[in-house]
Amino acid sequence: MQYLSVSLAAAGLSLLLTVCTSDAVQADEISFAQDILPILSDKCFVCHGPDGTDREVVQLDSPEQATRLRENGRAIDRENPGQSTLLRRIHSADDPMPPADAEKQLTVAERDLLSRWVQAGADWETHWSFIPPRKVTPHVAAATTPQVIDAYVSDQLAARNVKLAAAADDRTLARRAALVLTGLPPEPAQLQKFLQDKSDTAWSSYLDELLSSPRFGEHQARYWLDAVRYGDTHGLHLDNKRGIFPWRDWLVHALNRNQPLDEFLVWQLAGDLLPDATLEQQVATGFVRMNPSTAEGGVIPEEFQAKNNFDRVETLGTVLLGMSMTCARCHNHKYDPITQQEYYGLLAFFNSTAEGPLDGNKYEYAPVLQAPASVSAWGNWQQLQEQRSQLLQQAQELVGGQSPQQQEQWQQAAGAARLQLLAAVDGAFAGTPLQEQAAQLQQRLTDLEASYSTTLVAKELDQPRLTHLLRRGEYDLPSGDPLQPEVPAVMGRFPEDQPRNRLGLARWLVSREHPLVARVLVNQIWQRVFGEGLVRTPEDFGLQGQQPTHPELLDWLAVELQDSGWNLKGMLRQMLMSQTFRQSSAWRGDLSDPENRLLGRGPRYRLDAEVIRDIGLWSSGLLADAMGGEGSKPYQPAGLWSALMHPASNTKNYEQDSGQKLYQRSLYMYWKRTCPHPMLTLFDAPSRESSCIRRSRTNTALQSLGLLNETQRIEMGRELAVRLLKSLPSDDARINLLFELLACREASAAERQACQTLIDEMRQRFMQSSEDAQAVLSAGESRAAADLPQAELAAWTQLTVTVLASDAALLLY
Amino acid sequence: MSAPASLREFELNQTRRQLFGRSALGVGTAALAGLLQQDLSAAERTGVEGLHHIPRAKRVIYLFMSGGPSHHDLWDYKPKMKEMFGQPLPDEVRDGQRITGMTAGQQILPICPSKYRFTKQQNNDQGVWVSELLPHTAKVAHELCVVYSTYTEAINHDPAITYIQTGSQIPGRPSLGAWLSYGLGSTNENLPSYVVMHARSNHAEQSLFSRLWGTGFLPADHQGVLLRSSGDPVLYLNNPAGVSRNDRRAQLDALSVLNQAHYQQYGDPEVLARIRQHEMAYRMQSSVPELMDLSQETDETFQLYGDDARTPGTFAACCLNARRLAERGVRNIQIFHRGWDAHGNLPGEHESQCRDIDQGCAALISDLRRRGMLDDTLVVWGGEFGRTSYCQGRLTRESYGRDHHPRCFTVWMAGGGVKPGITYGRTDDFAYNIADEFGNPLRPQPAKETWTPGTMHIHDLNATILHLLGIDHRRLTYRYQGRDFRLTDIDGHVVRDILV
Repeated sequence: MQYLSVSLAAAGLSLLLTVCTSDAVQADEISFAQDILPILSDKCFVCHGPDGTDREVVQLDSPEQATRLRENGRAIDRENPGQSTLLRRIHSADDPMPPADAEKQLTVAERDLLSRWVQAGADWETHWSFIPPRKVTPHVAAATTPQVIDAYVSDQLAARNVKLAAAADDRTLARRAALVLTGLPPEPAQLQKFLQDKSDTAWSSYLDELLSSPRFGEHQARYWLDAVRYGDTHGLHLDNKRGIFPWRDWLVHALNRNQPLDEFLVWQLAGDLLPDATLEQQVATGFVRMNPSTAEGGVIPEEFQAKNNFDRVETLGTVLLGMSMTCARCHNHKYDPITQQEYYGLLAFFNSTAEGPLDGNKYEYAPVLQAPASVSAWGNWQQLQEQRSQLLQQAQELVGGQSPQQQEQWQQAAGAARLQLLAAVDGAFAGTPLQEQAAQLQQRLTDLEASYSTTLVAKELDQPRLTHLLRRGEYDLPSGDPLQPEVPAVMGRFPEDQPRNRLGLARWLVSREHPLVARVLVNQIWQRVFGEGLVRTPEDFGLQGQQPTHPELLDWLAVELQDSGWNLKGMLRQMLMSQTFRQSSAWRGDLSDPENRLLGRGPRYRLDAEVIRDIGLWSSGLLADAMGGEGSKPYQPAGLWSALMHPASNTKNYEQDSGQKLYQRSLYMYWKRTCPHPMLTLFDAPSRESSCIRRSRTNTALQSLGLLNETQRIEMGRELAVRLLKSLPSDDARINLLFELLACREASAAERQACQTLIDEMRQRFMQSSEDAQAVLSAGESRAAADLPQAELAAWTQLTVTVLASDAALLLY
Repeated sequence: MSAPASLREFELNQTRRQLFGRSALGVGTAALAGLLQQDLSAAERTGVEGLHHIPRAKRVIYLFMSGGPSHHDLWDYKPKMKEMFGQPLPDEVRDGQRITGMTAGQQILPICPSKYRFTKQQNNDQGVWVSELLPHTAKVAHELCVVYSTYTEAINHDPAITYIQTGSQIPGRPSLGAWLSYGLGSTNENLPSYVVMHARSNHAEQSLFSRLWGTGFLPADHQGVLLRSSGDPVLYLNNPAGVSRNDRRAQLDALSVLNQAHYQQYGDPEVLARIRQHEMAYRMQSSVPELMDLSQETDETFQLYGDDARTPGTFAACCLNARRLAERGVRNIQIFHRGWDAHGNLPGEHESQCRDIDQGCAALISDLRRRGMLDDTLVVWGGEFGRTSYCQGRLTRESYGRDHHPRCFTVWMAGGGVKPGITYGRTDDFAYNIADEFGNPLRPQPAKETWTPGTMHIHDLNATILHLLGIDHRRLTYRYQGRDFRLTDIDGHVVRDILV
């Protein structure tokens, strides 16, 4: 203990010195928002913050409050700064602030900053994220850096007398871009095409190809699934199955067709409230229904009506407002200017959805709809819708020539009924080519509908439920008058011309005046590309969150997102076109910035669980083409679910799939919220019981065991080995192909040597034991190629499993 | 291997970030202790250190009875209820307490005395009444601190078990075990720092959830590792069929060369961290089987734990494993035993449940004691709530059921700095309300500033557990969404009355 204390103290001291010298702020450049507010928020607001109700207690969250004359003076006296009680107390030994027993104390540097700020007149500003973003021109001339992103990044690097790092080589970049956009390495032919393209547009053409791949939507959907806490089960108590996967497949479809993000959000929050809502718009509202739910015997419905709504408000806060609303459930927010009243005002938007508070343990937890049951089915659906409207439009032109009775019939019929009129063999259109086409279309629609599956949707009650503030967040302590739906004042005004329901809420969120939504989204997109956001606490843009590393860049991108029509692919393309993205990610000797906050090197991080598995499936040729459908259930150790579940649960037995379902992309894996697949959770996938917009990235021994021992890893390794053995004749060429697939480059001499040593050893080993060779080759459901020497195949399997587990395959770099 | 000069700087920067970016006494210190400790050579390592103060316990073994054991039938002896068999529970006793939807529709709530005989066991104080259902545990009564006055607000399983294990009724927070792993780290590099076991039960009804040993917003490496009784004891521990330990060594040697090549090119310190984890995995492949191999345990030990202990997956076997884990430096061990949710046929079910656990509990205490480990091992026994004084369903002298009851329930602790052989807190004549020494209901509420002596809210229980392990529950924090979260939310008081 003693040793530890001493070393702690010593380390603390030396670090303190380092920090003070490097991070000291000059007197003339104190920024309230960047330097002062974080101190007040972190050290003072716990007692002197926006939640203050006692008028005697000084409130430091607003200038009016802080400068108000009180019995013993002003906390901040702008006329006579020296008289400010704040200054006296923070420097007082006898009567200090924070009090001696407070959990958080001011540092010397913080006291100094506060003093200088008060002395300089105590300027106040609004917290940066509550001011709507605007574009500011970067200092670096556009001529030298055509890309705005690079200009902003170079600005900061220039202050350290360094430039952006040199670009990584084309092969590394090709892999990096493909992984960022599609979650898979490039196909070898695609890679070659890019490498051979010597034109100026080689990079942008390559990016466009990736952006148009159907794999794009699958990979991008994954982040949204974490954010909205998507699960295939209800999540609480019995954790029974829930009908919702058509929503997930709609999501992939929507991202692939690059639906503008504002519309994307409006549909998800309130598609049901749009005029003449289409099936697609209604299905999108599954977002509102994504909260975990229960039907545990004896639970009190009112309690869960409240809890379900808490969950929705808080998820909305995390995902779109970049802010925790949770504090305000029980009392005014301690740090951010959000009152408890405002929390319940926001909650009122969600309190009138039609579903009951308990799920009845039912798959069809009403309201539900029947909807296309795979990504391709959604593609068909859309195509058929387009054909229908084309046909109806053509038919419209013919209607004029029909009898008045027929015309009236046509006028009165809505979409589906019109198609029926058009298709009728004995109707007004009989004998026309249109009739025939309509009949065919109707048949195709009927066929498609036969494959529909159940999905939960949001609907609004005719009579809204009354919403009250709940004291201490207790469902049985409603207080005060009913609240009307309202948005937090600090984020702007609710638009006068919008209905006070989810639709109005959604439109307010995506309005240009909203200070947070575009910033929060663009930060999440940046994080997908660079591994960390420009705000490194993507779930907290509030007073306690970190400041953006590049504030002007964040704002510029947020406005750009809006200007571009909320174009996700466009935004990603812009980020990947930058030199900032294309820099080498190697350590720089000339820049000490281990967390890469200055963005002076390229991104570098361990890939997510799903990507790690997908790379294995893809490289081995096992990856199934089928997109979507009911959650797939690949191999899983026996007994994981049954060890936990209630006997009455319909998810107590894991029924493993067979055939192609075993090899679907990982985003389609069945998500049981109380026990997700261990190969996902081992690599930091969240449980999806609550919203997650930033996964941790840990390194554990259990990951090593999973990579080298799990059934599917071995099966993938074996099929990859088959591919190598069947494509090429020599060890050298095969090792090169292996690296070509996983790292987009040939093996280095050291790598080749290590691989050769392993393959030689394994060859010998399995020549001597055909039994062991057979055992190695028996992993998984698919059968090993019988036309290859089994010892040779087993030896190569050992190598491919190893290289698939190596950092060249596991990391983005 | 030649580390780039800047690697050292990276580590320092990590430290600096954590020290200054966050509360200097909160998470910063926790993470810092871990970082610095890694830097110490083995000889310098001081072994178990408390985070905030000198710990009483070096490790904790938590025996969790999922479903809510009946305090009436096991611990909280209420002879007066016998005289009132079948009479309605007086309204003033219930005092508006909400009841679950399962008994809300019952015409009356008839008083349901326990059918079991209680015997007073000597302890270090006034003695303690123990039910005939727990004959073995009764023999170690002098080691136990029996707390009658534990309470919660949650009244249904999922919220209640989530509450006691994570400090919040709504999923999303780190579990007790994850907090401990985060705060304490590990003293054995070859075994996981936080191990969870599921013991077999004939009435395994209420579900368990990964969140009970999950990490919420803490880094995922603090999640509990399941030690399983069938298949691989740790998921994916065993090499695939046909792959020998030598083969694996060869693979890892190749892997190490590949990863070091990557490191040389990119200077990414995470690569080195992963190289170490691959090696730890390799060592785990021998340390876990060694752990699970009971062949060196003596017959006498098996007599102590009972024959059940020879059958993997029984509660007794889990207890024996717990002792072996504790001996090997694992500091954070939890056994979940399901099946205590006795709404009907309580006697039949609880008799079977008690047969499952009784001897194992007692043996674990005795075994730790004779090995000199009980003083620094905290053992905790309890569920997520208690059961009602009134009967659910049909009441007879022989059979009855009990609904969920949050207002009081019994938890016991032993070893690890807890006073042995005492009881703590009281309940009224119906074991319905926590009571003062005169039997008057106290009806405590959890609160930040105040604490009612003689009571133990579940936050108090968790605060006390952390305290015994050298952690101040108010200072073990992790910032998420701008708030420094802790296990005990905003409440929690260390119940010092029960500490040695």
